[in-house]
Amino acid sequence: MPSYTLTVNSVKKTVSVDADTPLLWVLRDELGLTGTKYGCGKGLCGACTVQYKGNAVRSCTLTVDSVLEGNITTIEGLSEGQNHPVQQAWMELDVPQCGYCQSGQIISAATLLSKNPNPTEEEINAGMAGNICRCGTYTRIREAVQLAASKLDE
Amino acid sequence: MKNTLKRRNFIKLTVSASGALIAGVHLQSCMPKKPLAEVHQFSPLIKIDTDGWISLIAKNPEIGQGVKTALPMILAEELGANWNKVEVVQADYDTIYDEQWAGGSYAIILNWDLMRTAGAMVRQVLIEAASKKMNLPVEEFITKNSKVFHTKSNKTLPFEELIAEASQIPLPEEVEFKPTDSFEIVGKNIPQVDLDKLVSGGAEFAIDIKLPEMVYATVLKNPVFEGGVSSYDDADARLVNGVIDIIELNNAAYGGRLLGPNSPNFVNGVAVIANSTWASFKGAKKLKVVWDNSNSRKENTTELFERFHAQLPNTSIERKDGDIAKAKRSAASSFEAIYEVPFLAHATMEPMNCTVDFRDDLCEVWAPTQNPEALQEGLIKLFGLKPEQIKIHLPRIGGAFGRRYYVDYAMDTAILSKKIGKPVKLTWTREEDIRHDWYRPGSVQKISASLDKEGMVTGWQHILANASRKTSLGREGGPAGTEIDEYDFPAGLVPNLQLEYGHVLSDVPLGQWRAVAASANAFPVHCFLDELAFLNKMDSIDYFLKFLGPKRMVPVVGDYEFDVERLITVVEKVRQMSGWDTPLPKGQGRGFAARKGAGSFIAEVVTVRVDENEKTKILRVDAVVDCGIVVNPSGAKAQVEGGILEGLCAALYGEITIKDGAAEQSNFHDYKWMRMGEVPGIHIEFIKNELPPRGLGEPPLPPAIPALANAIYAATGKRIRKLPIVK
Repeated sequence: MPSYTLTVNSVKKTVSVDADTPLLWVLRDELGLTGTKYGCGKGLCGACTVQYKGNAVRSCTLTVDSVLEGNITTIEGLSEGQNHPVQQAWMELDVPQCGYCQSGQIISAATLLSKNPNPTEEEINAGMAGNICRCGTYTRIREAVQLAASKLDE
Repeated sequence: MKNTLKRRNFIKLTVSASGALIAGVHLQSCMPKKPLAEVHQFSPLIKIDTDGWISLIAKNPEIGQGVKTALPMILAEELGANWNKVEVVQADYDTIYDEQWAGGSYAIILNWDLMRTAGAMVRQVLIEAASKKMNLPVEEFITKNSKVFHTKSNKTLPFEELIAEASQIPLPEEVEFKPTDSFEIVGKNIPQVDLDKLVSGGAEFAIDIKLPEMVYATVLKNPVFEGGVSSYDDADARLVNGVIDIIELNNAAYGGRLLGPNSPNFVNGVAVIANSTWASFKGAKKLKVVWDNSNSRKENTTELFERFHAQLPNTSIERKDGDIAKAKRSAASSFEAIYEVPFLAHATMEPMNCTVDFRDDLCEVWAPTQNPEALQEGLIKLFGLKPEQIKIHLPRIGGAFGRRYYVDYAMDTAILSKKIGKPVKLTWTREEDIRHDWYRPGSVQKISASLDKEGMVTGWQHILANASRKTSLGREGGPAGTEIDEYDFPAGLVPNLQLEYGHVLSDVPLGQWRAVAASANAFPVHCFLDELAFLNKMDSIDYFLKFLGPKRMVPVVGDYEFDVERLITVVEKVRQMSGWDTPLPKGQGRGFAARKGAGSFIAEVVTVRVDENEKTKILRVDAVVDCGIVVNPSGAKAQVEGGILEGLCAALYGEITIKDGAAEQSNFHDYKWMRMGEVPGIHIEFIKNELPPRGLGEPPLPPAIPALANAIYAATGKRIRKLPIVK
């Protein structure tokens, strides 16, 4: 099996997997970073969202050989001690229910705010449109993104 | 409030080797109506450590409904614990915890008195220990912040300094609950336990379990219900890097339907064992299986619904009050309407998965299950194990909604682990998950009403026809279940009322879906009442209040009666909150529905805008809830938000269609779910009272569906009698 060197949360990691292995399964099964979740395998639900080169991407549809050039940020690497403003806002508003989609939601929110620190409600809706929550935490997510934006302002 | 315990010995205090005080509670003794188990077993619900930290057991599975926080909160409240120094520990499945299933909105209902009794008992023991130590009367003490507090002198003794004395105190026979107005934890917004882990990827779900020597598996099942495997060619699959083995899962070889009602019903398929999840998925794609569909009815949605319609005149009577024929003869007018609701999948965000280590006749399971009781029962029946050979862990669960009441995926995993003699993590693909669900039953429902000259209901007949989730052997027959229950709304409110059920056999696997029958039956009932209001040129809420009649207790069934005043109160409040009586611009409309569920009362108003292309935008939802005491407002509000959104999503998009005996949908592109931009603002208020807390997981869902349909009518003049709204 070929081996690949990835940069995950700013650390270089080498894995031996087939070239067509999605990043999701490299993170989960090879590197033990299970915060990134499997939901659909088709880039439809957003549970597997990670940052690659600063963009929110669906790790279930990106093969390992296509993510070798830049840093991959997973939920585990978003901050030290949950101190990212998005995580802080999420905790203040007690957002999760089952929690399974939340890593993907948080990564999407953090990416949105990194590009647009003061999004309108419409921009939040658009920026978060790729992430499904089955429990219905959407209203709190929207509020938490706004709260995180206000924290970034401070 | 005093709770006298007729039974002694239902609590045991022990000091552990490390010096911690462990309060074991005999849970069955706390439930006066339950027979005592032969052997007293004590569940270690409370542990007070020498460093002042308190461990509290969360006994039920956490599926996102917040019980891992709410149940320990009740324990902590009565104990007088400092919540900031409480560690919540998830229980494994164990009969010492009595019932551990999650469903029917029952967690708080069943555990409120239990948790209070256990907490209060330990509080009393600690107070007595302090009283002895300080030589002051017990009446002068309270507990607070994990300390016993002498109210007259302000002297305190931390719990941890009372461990030795407390363990020697004879146990009280009577417990006194704290007055509800002195609550310091219950009723406060307590952030859920695990919150820090949930926002940083550290919360471990079943799908995240990794064991030494573990292998990974997936399964390709016959998409056709009742189908089997004729033959398969696994040569290409075995060539996939990482594939270890291919194993056929054969229904008949494992007892088939042996397990009976509500037990796993195996679907035949072929499993791929590999050294990674991805290799197992890849291997499954390379399998060439010839399916045997000779046993399938090859059903399709159109034909199934035709059969449901045809069954309407051929029913059994589930409830009969007064005489509907007589009401019909003396009616000033009558009205009837027929409604259709579709099959629904659960589509939990975490797909079905399980990890099992089944070696040397010991079966250790990490199961995302709502129903560990059924899982244990299944393993016992399938493998002839004794309960002590089974250990079931209950990790966090990525959504359940009723799907994980069934344990088919866990049984598959146990079969595979036993066969290959290694720990196995089985992960279903999303496609398998949606195609092999236990679907919410679709149905056809007809309501007929006799009306007096004021347009009020004198006779009510509700007929529901479908294949029932309660008929375990959908194919072979057996006793027919019913999907309309004798207590269904408006039973008890109308003098002449008949609820009828028409039963149809089908291959489609059916099961509980959040709010169960009410998820399907509230839509016709509350849309019909809205139709009657408009027929009589009355405001919908005015008509509903007139329909409810005066404030009173209405006997429904057995000793269960319902307090009409509580329903009226939430209706009047939502009317005010939603601005119901203020005009809306053209193209907008408000819809309303209110009902009772799991002992709670809820009224909802949905406001929509429908544009010229018939595209519906939900603008706002208002909900008023009376669930008695609200244990954790943050978690309770989350349940209402989630229930409402789930109802709205299902009403707009939810539909599983059947073609040639299989589900046509397979993933989120064709089983659509609401996205952020479609989500309205939701305004929720709770009625404050001191009544015992009731269920909240399910009740908010059903009214959202008719409230939305009624709002669309108000906006457009177009009635919706068939779901989903968006095709």
